[in-house]
Amino acid sequence: MFDPMPWLILSPLIWATLAFVHGPGRGGRLAVACLILQLSLAAILAQQVIAGGVRMYAVGGWGAPLGIDLMADGLSTVMLLLTQTIVLPLAFYARAYFVGHANSLRYFWPLTGYLLAAMNALFLSSDVFNIYVTLELLGLAAVGLVALVGGAGPITAAMRYLLATLLGSSAYLLGVALLYGVYGSVSLVALKPLIAADAPATVSLAAALMLLGLMLKTALFPFHFWLPPAHGGAPAPVSALLSALVIKASFYLILRLWFDLFAPIVSITAAQLLGALGAGAILWGSFLALRQTHLKMLVAYSTVAQVGYLFLLFPLATGMSAEVAESAWQGGVLQVVAHGLAKAAMFAAAGAMITATGRDEISGIAGVATRIPLTLFAFALAGVTIMGLPPSGGFAAKWLLLGAALASEQWWWIVVMVVGGLLSAAYVFKVLRQAFLPVEETASFQLLPRMLEWPILLLALASLVLGLVGIEVLSLLGAA
Amino acid sequence: MRTLLNVTVLFLASAFGLALGWLILDLPVAAVRLPEQVTAQLEMSGVVHPVTAVLLNFRGYDTLLEIAVLLLALLGILALPRHVSDHQHRPSSANPVLQTLTRVLAPLMLLVAGYVLWAGAHRPGGAFQAGAVLAGAGVLLHLAGLLPAWATPGRTLRAGLAVGLLVFIAVAVALMAQGTLLQYPLSWAGALILMIEASLTLSLGLILAGLYLVLTDSGVQK
Repeated sequence: MFDPMPWLILSPLIWATLAFVHGPGRGGRLAVACLILQLSLAAILAQQVIAGGVRMYAVGGWGAPLGIDLMADGLSTVMLLLTQTIVLPLAFYARAYFVGHANSLRYFWPLTGYLLAAMNALFLSSDVFNIYVTLELLGLAAVGLVALVGGAGPITAAMRYLLATLLGSSAYLLGVALLYGVYGSVSLVALKPLIAADAPATVSLAAALMLLGLMLKTALFPFHFWLPPAHGGAPAPVSALLSALVIKASFYLILRLWFDLFAPIVSITAAQLLGALGAGAILWGSFLALRQTHLKMLVAYSTVAQVGYLFLLFPLATGMSAEVAESAWQGGVLQVVAHGLAKAAMFAAAGAMITATGRDEISGIAGVATRIPLTLFAFALAGVTIMGLPPSGGFAAKWLLLGAALASEQWWWIVVMVVGGLLSAAYVFKVLRQAFLPVEETASFQLLPRMLEWPILLLALASLVLGLVGIEVLSLLGAA
Repeated sequence: MRTLLNVTVLFLASAFGLALGWLILDLPVAAVRLPEQVTAQLEMSGVVHPVTAVLLNFRGYDTLLEIAVLLLALLGILALPRHVSDHQHRPSSANPVLQTLTRVLAPLMLLVAGYVLWAGAHRPGGAFQAGAVLAGAGVLLHLAGLLPAWATPGRTLRAGLAVGLLVFIAVAVALMAQGTLLQYPLSWAGALILMIEASLTLSLGLILAGLYLVLTDSGVQK
């Protein structure tokens, strides 16, 4: 049987390297062609997982613990599908976007290719050391993309991002080293029964280090300091990639470690602590988003807030009845998917509005509603998911989380979610209200190419439709 | 306030260091014995040295991604906006003694790199070490004023930087035809690994030298 797993990793590696050899600014067409291929590969893998459950693949034919195993289960397949689904429209968007921003294109395509190779490899890996290598690849590619614009601000942001992401990887690596010291293996499959059988204090320290490092990379409050300048200052297609996908990769690992590898040693207290940090992220991030004067900074702080919802999953799913945990788990994963699609659309729309008006302040986008209605419509649709209104994917996700909170009588998380929802409505409407104001006499408008606007709408529609087809995603998630 | 913060950080860091040291001294005997498995399978790997067997065969997939990481590190620097000066910048100190010495040393370093690469099959050595020697030769040539800085690498240089990764990927893709990613047939394993290592040596040498030679004339925008 044809196995798409290795090709999902090889394909982006190949097109990234060829694009690099080809030179600065080149490689867009090849990237689009290969991305279409990768989307089909991910779809084939999803069918195989639905039909046959978890799939393993022994690289080099050795098998763990001597070699490295790839593994695709429901969760990793959802993440792979989400990644290819978001990157393909963004690639079309980027091709149109960089026509007007040619001086910051440079090595965008190779960097994006390596970024994608790192994410695909990360989602497929079942080896904690191999995951570390993919994290390094991911972090370096992301930092390179942030620095593309140049100028003091973005370079400083990229530098800060580099230090944060390196600190995160180092903490993770230290944890891996401790695990290897205790058990003599780095394979997830080999480690799991060993940890369940006997976990000395060293393993708890390793778990804490790995989770802390990944929290730093996910920009969970109060480790979010690096995110707004990095995501807000990057070129729009890069911001969309980073906010929609890159932070989700480290969140995916937290899920894997928490609910799989370290399941025997995690405690309800630790879960409540993660939830509290998530609540802090929702309230503080939304509050700061509301106070921003620049469009992309507002969207970036909205990411800080939305990451918070992801972490409510832990207190709702740890140590609860199977039914509650299932609902929280589904809600958390659906939030990953919904926020990914919506935030990609939102950043892309923000980039389009800034391109059209030539101004990056929120006060500068007056009149957008009449000049580029399609983009504004897409922004509003994405906003529906961010606010969590029906019938969007964001609504379905938050509904499941609310249900889990009700069923487990943890009413304090309900308060946080409702207040967060109101605050996010406030900042989305802050942008929409400005967009509907009449155009200033002096304002000049640049027409947008069609290929810049349609991918945004496609992503926003996908985030909305997710609320209706969420059950399909959940059945894939539950398949293995 | 600042002192208080410093003292707190210092205290936490030392507490963490002590805890770490105490836990490491108290490590149990590992349940999985990887070194024994490596020794047991060494004959099947196509090389005689266990480190090379792990790096290029048992965990060759890790190495493939690590080469991409190294290339990416240089790519990150190349992607930075920069203004390139028109004149090819050379260090001013063209000291004749240094130049003569370098002209003698550089070919020797090339020879050493070749030997270290070859030695990797049966003793410590291999592509990473050989690449580091090559890079050292490159930096030395630049410092002696014999090799200009690489402000914007042309296509040939970019191809050289990427050839290691490309050959590695090409081998991986070719091996997919007979089933599994990076599963070397036993009879070819040694030859394929040597081919990968040779191209990696060239690319790693160029990448590591590039980290110096690209930045040295940088003009990266402040």
